[in-house]
Amino acid sequence: MIIFLLLPALLLLLVVFVVPLFRYAWLSFHADSVITGLIAIPNGGANWLRLLQDLRYWQDLGQTLRFAGVSVGLELILALCIALLLDQRWRGRDVVRTLALIPWALPTTVMALGWRWIFNTPYGPIDHFTKIAGIGSLNILGDPNFAWIATVWADVWKTTPFAALILLAGLQTIPADLYEALRLEGGNALICLRRITLPLLRPYILLALLFRLAQSFGVFDLIQVLTGGGPASTTESIALYAYWNALRFLDFGYSSTIIMASFVLISLICVIAWIGLQVLIPTHPKSRGVIEL
Amino acid sequence: MMRHSHFIRRIIATLFIVLICSAGFGIAQARSIESVSFLMAAPFADATQDLVKQFNQEHRGNISLQVVRGPLETEAMSDLAISSLLLGKAPFDGLLMDVTWLPKYAAAGWMQPLEDYFSETDIASLAIGAREGNSYDGHLYRWPMNADMGLLYYRTDLMELPPETPDQLVQVSQSLQKDKKVDWGYVWQGRQYEGLSCVYLELIDGFGGDWLKTDSNQIGLNSKPGVEAAAWLQGLIDQGVSPRAVTNYGEAEALQSFKVGDAAFMRNWPYAWAELQKSDSAVKGNVGITTMVAKPGHTTATLGSWGLTVLKGSSHVDASIEAIRFLTSETAQKQLFLKYGYSPTQQRVIDDPQLLQDKPILAEFGRALKVATPRPQTALYAQISDVLTRQLSSILTGERTPENGMNVAAANTNQILMSAGEKP
Repeated sequence: MIIFLLLPALLLLLVVFVVPLFRYAWLSFHADSVITGLIAIPNGGANWLRLLQDLRYWQDLGQTLRFAGVSVGLELILALCIALLLDQRWRGRDVVRTLALIPWALPTTVMALGWRWIFNTPYGPIDHFTKIAGIGSLNILGDPNFAWIATVWADVWKTTPFAALILLAGLQTIPADLYEALRLEGGNALICLRRITLPLLRPYILLALLFRLAQSFGVFDLIQVLTGGGPASTTESIALYAYWNALRFLDFGYSSTIIMASFVLISLICVIAWIGLQVLIPTHPKSRGVIEL
Repeated sequence: MMRHSHFIRRIIATLFIVLICSAGFGIAQARSIESVSFLMAAPFADATQDLVKQFNQEHRGNISLQVVRGPLETEAMSDLAISSLLLGKAPFDGLLMDVTWLPKYAAAGWMQPLEDYFSETDIASLAIGAREGNSYDGHLYRWPMNADMGLLYYRTDLMELPPETPDQLVQVSQSLQKDKKVDWGYVWQGRQYEGLSCVYLELIDGFGGDWLKTDSNQIGLNSKPGVEAAAWLQGLIDQGVSPRAVTNYGEAEALQSFKVGDAAFMRNWPYAWAELQKSDSAVKGNVGITTMVAKPGHTTATLGSWGLTVLKGSSHVDASIEAIRFLTSETAQKQLFLKYGYSPTQQRVIDDPQLLQDKPILAEFGRALKVATPRPQTALYAQISDVLTRQLSSILTGERTPENGMNVAAANTNQILMSAGEKP
């Protein structure tokens, strides 16, 4: 009976997720490009062999991991702070809660264009401030050492509110009497955070982590607009490379190979991150029955 | 009550009859009217609005032309066009396309050959530069609507005559910078994107080399002129003639810098001319245009023109051609030039005495168009341009030396051509 109720959802998943995935897997074993006249011709494992030797892919993978790791890490820490703050009772909290969501509500392209002008050298405000501060012109987007930091910065700015929203929802499910009990036993704020808040928030942290990891591995529009992958290809992500292969080079076989390989690798990384966090954050104190000080 | 319902019934009956009649009329009309739709990037769709209205008035009852307004940016336009073409039957009859897309689209089999519709006389009416980049593999696929070429903008209040060679440009820049007349000598497009390939093409040709000879597949990136061109660009940054930030400059950033009066020279397309004449421009009235600096006898300009094509599978080819002829006619080109600054492709428009008198800048556009060169015309252009901009960006940011970077770019290009079977 329950299967009938699930059927529509399963069908939808099949159409939008499973079918394309199989199509990619199939295409990754074919030559399908402008050279073949956009006809898929089986070519064994040639695409996969090319991928293994393609230094650019591995460089992009490294850059994508760096981007995802740093930005998701920063986002979760910041989001936790913001969520804790917004969970307290204070005047004007509701207004701030709404305002905090604005970066997330902005379309990425618009926000990236905005940052491109903010980081602009020499006409952007950041360049102006660094000059006044005596640091001089930083040329952030034009320097291979700095440009990726700008992409992380813009991403953190935009998506922290999203993670904060998930964590805030989690915080509101924690009953206040738990804190009262712990305080009666002499627990201070830090112990409350470690013993109650973090463990009970764990499922929400994991949820935010997975959402954000999956999104940031596929980062595309932000980088496309902010740096276009440059300078010297130091900000190019896997998604950007796959996109170039498909829509600019019309090489669908190789683009599918990039996507499949990245799909497998990223799934692995998500599982590892998930397990890692499980170990890192202590388990539910309720399940142990007592709250130990 | 009876009367009331009777009245309503009569109204309904009347409406019904009117509806049937108008539907029948509509079907009869739809049968005789051919509706043609073209996809154009937003600025072109807006600029051609009046022309389309005119065309539809003249062809009332026969052809109805509709322009679908695409995205603003060239690359976004290409994405949209390709996505819809991949579906098999495109929802458009024609497409306004950039010069670099043509070989790729033709190789993919998306375009209708047009040589049966445009005669030799038609082609002879085009300016020399505008005849380039419309054909692939012996077929004509595109009819140019407006010409675009890389130009060197200079400040007439700072110099009498513009420099002609790369060395002169550096000298003039440095002396102006020393006298504190400008912050920067020369601003251009150094961001890792297609614009950088355009900048480089003008220089490698200007130093006497070739990027890629498509007939023999000979790669000139790591030849002496190829390395010299890259080294010259890198030197501009090192010597402080160009700002370090030029490594993230696109057309907009370069224009911004030149428009506020911070630079003596700028490389840009013809559209910048109109922008520099606006009231918010600090250099209004003090701007001149010439061709890119080059070694004597090697002057060139990167060709970047837009032209109309008919897509394969369109059932309105004749009507589409009719519309293309109208949109690229002399009157249309005059109108587009006067109102929007779009550079014409018909030689007679470029030579029009009245037009030249009203807008003397047209002569400079015409001069640049005469020496305009297309980027390598191969279906693999996107790939080879990508590996080139990648290496150029590495050179400009000091990650690689010019020799090393151009060697890698040449090797990558060779690999792309080989894996496509274009080279043994």
